[in-house]
Amino acid sequence: EELVMSSWLPPKHPIVVNAFKPWAEEVEKVTEGRVTVRIMGKPLGSPPAHFDMARDGVADITYGLHSFTEDDRFNRARLGQFSFLGDDAIANSKAYWAIYGGQMDAAGEHQGTHLLGLFMHGPGLLYNNKRKIGAVADLQGLKLRVPGGYGGDLVGALGATPLFMSSPEVYEKLSRGVIDGVAFTYEAITAFNLTDHLKYAMTVPGGVYNTTWFLVVNEDKWNSLSEADRTAIDAISGAAFAERVGKAWNDADAAARAEIGDRIAFDEASPEVVAALRATAGKLEQKWAEGLGEGHDGLAALAEFRKATGVAPE
Amino acid sequence: MITSLIAFAILLGMVFVRVPIAFAMAIVGGIGFALLRGWAPAGAMVGNAVFETGLNYSLSVVPLFIFMGNVLAGSGIAQGLFSAADRVFGRMRGGLAMATILSCGGFSAVCGSSLATAATMSKVAMPSMRRFGYSDSLATGAIAAGGTLGILIPPSVVLIIFGLLTEADIGKLFLAGIIPGIVGIIGYLLAVMAAVRLKPELAPEVGEVVPMTRQDAISVVAVLALFAFIMIGIYGGLFTPIEAAGMGAFAALVIAALTGGLTRAALWGAFLDSATASAMIFAIIIGAEIFSNFVTFAGLPDSLSMIVEDLGLSAWTVLLLIVLIYLVLGCFLESLSMILLTVPVFYPVIANLDFGLAVLADPDAVLIWFGIIVVVVTEISLITPPIGMNVFVLRSVLPDVALGTIFRGVYVFWVADIVRLAVIIFVPVLSLWLVS
Amino acid sequence: MNEPVPDMIPGRVPHRQAPWYRALAVIAAVLIALMIGVTCIDVIGRYLMNRPFGGAYELTQILLAALVFVALPLTTADGGHVEVDLALHLFPKPVQRLMGRLAGWVSALALGYFAWRLALIGLDQWHEGTRSASLMLPMAPLAFLAAASCAVSAIILLLPRKETP
Ligand code: NA
Ligand code: NA
Repeated sequence: EELVMSSWLPPKHPIVVNAFKPWAEEVEKVTEGRVTVRIMGKPLGSPPAHFDMARDGVADITYGLHSFTEDDRFNRARLGQFSFLGDDAIANSKAYWAIYGGQMDAAGEHQGTHLLGLFMHGPGLLYNNKRKIGAVADLQGLKLRVPGGYGGDLVGALGATPLFMSSPEVYEKLSRGVIDGVAFTYEAITAFNLTDHLKYAMTVPGGVYNTTWFLVVNEDKWNSLSEADRTAIDAISGAAFAERVGKAWNDADAAARAEIGDRIAFDEASPEVVAALRATAGKLEQKWAEGLGEGHDGLAALAEFRKATGVAPE
Repeated sequence: MITSLIAFAILLGMVFVRVPIAFAMAIVGGIGFALLRGWAPAGAMVGNAVFETGLNYSLSVVPLFIFMGNVLAGSGIAQGLFSAADRVFGRMRGGLAMATILSCGGFSAVCGSSLATAATMSKVAMPSMRRFGYSDSLATGAIAAGGTLGILIPPSVVLIIFGLLTEADIGKLFLAGIIPGIVGIIGYLLAVMAAVRLKPELAPEVGEVVPMTRQDAISVVAVLALFAFIMIGIYGGLFTPIEAAGMGAFAALVIAALTGGLTRAALWGAFLDSATASAMIFAIIIGAEIFSNFVTFAGLPDSLSMIVEDLGLSAWTVLLLIVLIYLVLGCFLESLSMILLTVPVFYPVIANLDFGLAVLADPDAVLIWFGIIVVVVTEISLITPPIGMNVFVLRSVLPDVALGTIFRGVYVFWVADIVRLAVIIFVPVLSLWLVS
Repeated sequence: MNEPVPDMIPGRVPHRQAPWYRALAVIAAVLIALMIGVTCIDVIGRYLMNRPFGGAYELTQILLAALVFVALPLTTADGGHVEVDLALHLFPKPVQRLMGRLAGWVSALALGYFAWRLALIGLDQWHEGTRSASLMLPMAPLAFLAAASCAVSAIILLLPRKETP
């Protein structure tokens, strides 16, 4: 049985090369060649369409970010998108798989598919080319590209101007001075060629923001596989895949840091800035938890997450 | 591979019995996908392709760059440009045809589309050339060929679409098109000279020389100013190439208001024409997306890359083969569909090749250079029979000229194009000099 | 191409005087003007007042989609879709006419199918409350507009069209 995987990241992207491809080869191995995964060179739709594509069977396997669209279906998934969650993509991804995949019922938000993986990449930073962020006032008036939703609310509340655009558009806007900075990971800076257009980076323990991803397979297709094959694939997916992809992100981040060198000044946020971030983040977390309704305790899940990754606030 | 080739054959068959190419691609692609994958997934794929193409931010340049050109055309600036160019060549045999080429080049600097450039210049240049006794074939050939420059000289909708397909830097693509565009103008001018030398009956002896009028001068200044505004805006960091379309359209309206040449009817026409041309282009993009999803699923890009690898051909051989494929496809496929269907297949192949030239050491440079090559072969396809879109545009604007007459007039320019293509392929620095 | 390319002289083709055509054309013109306006406000705003218009990216996307789908019936009525009739002159006139009708029906089928799929997307987005990422605009109405546009275009293609000599 051949499973077709639609992939929208560039074919040479570190997580395609170091996570998806090895995983696909592993699938073939553990099923003794009965199940193969073909990763297509070109995606069959836009990145935001990829969850629906697996659900509707356009492709068998897809991956993507939960934050691609703003709707009501991945509410609980935002657990992994807040600040101060963890600096190690492996620990983050494993905690995310365990907690969102466990008591937060991730499967209920991914109906029509079978979950193969839930993961996160390394911590998000705040980059800019204007000034070092020593105090909250330094954020005033900076035009920052943010991922939609949480990131926008956060930097907006601190006085910066959040702007939304697609990732490839960031290079155009940054290199032409249209924006002053961007909330990105380490890896994204080198992936999008931004090193020479940024000067300062503010790191926050556990990330200014974080991103969450899914790896899913069409449910009918999944059920058409034999039980033995499903068990074998599940064994190398889930937590095992969280480990694999987390390592791929960590390595990509480390490679990016080495490539950037001292061309960007990385500074940890001052206690004042961290405190201000915490205050705003706390309000946003509260609002999210209230919106989850009965049956899910968002704040408890967040606390457990932070305990698991070791960044629980003192 | 075989599946994809059969699909191409069916597609061409449908096109030849007059099914609009957009719908032919959608139908063959959609049904093909359904046969491989099932009807429900095919339906979801088709729905996505239709909806998301409309929401593609980068494609906002399509209506706006066309609108910019239409406003200038409607305000008489194209006419002024043509008269001014005529002053340059007025004393030479074939001078009006050469003026047509030069003013097409000038108009290309403020118009993003080849079809719009050809349509505009045909209304401006054709009446004069007829009045002075130029043969229809030379006159229409010059307009059809000159119009192709619209997509090479920035701004260009096609360069933006190439950037969209390959994630190449659009700002660099724009810069890269300038010198090849000028080479194109020179080549076409030489082609006119050669044509009238070989067949003097194509053009009258010597035209009258009239001094430049104020209106002509204003038009030239307006075009230069708008081109400068766009280029300075993009490279001075004021706006992105995508935003340049909106800013350029606004600037064109300001210029039209200042020169006072734009009537209300012409403004309305500019709006309407931009809207309908955009819907036409988007229908093609949607159809191509559906067809290309099917071809990807059928495994064409993968097997092509494997074949290239297995044969162990040199980088230059592969490139020349690809160019040859383009020249053949260019006969039969509508130009935009050709780009949309082939670039995703070919550029991964090209990106992995080593051309052994220092100037092409950087993979980004290879991509930019390949982009210019693709645009030049696309220009050629616009005037290659049997399906040459620029020729069709002329045919519809000038219903009394036979298709054969236009194609007969085009061939000298076609020869010039082939020479230019060779120069651009073998002298990559022409495309890359302004970029680095 | 069987009909003149959309000419810049309005009203030259009779159907362009029809009230539905004029109404859609006015909306399309307004959408183009809005697209220009959004870019200008964004660019000028961020330089003169250091106040960029955060929603410009999304608003442009939505205006563009609206424009394309509002204009689709206009292009269809104009016979403005790219088509080729090179092989047709080999056949007698009645056969040509029949093939023209057939091509129209085939295209109408494709557009009708688009309309159906777009309506499904609209319903899906309606139920899931899909909104744009920064302006939080609901996306379902846009999908319904697109569905309506394709349906109208399909109907236009089913109606017999005038042949130019
Ligand atoms: Na141009
Ligand atoms: Na052609």
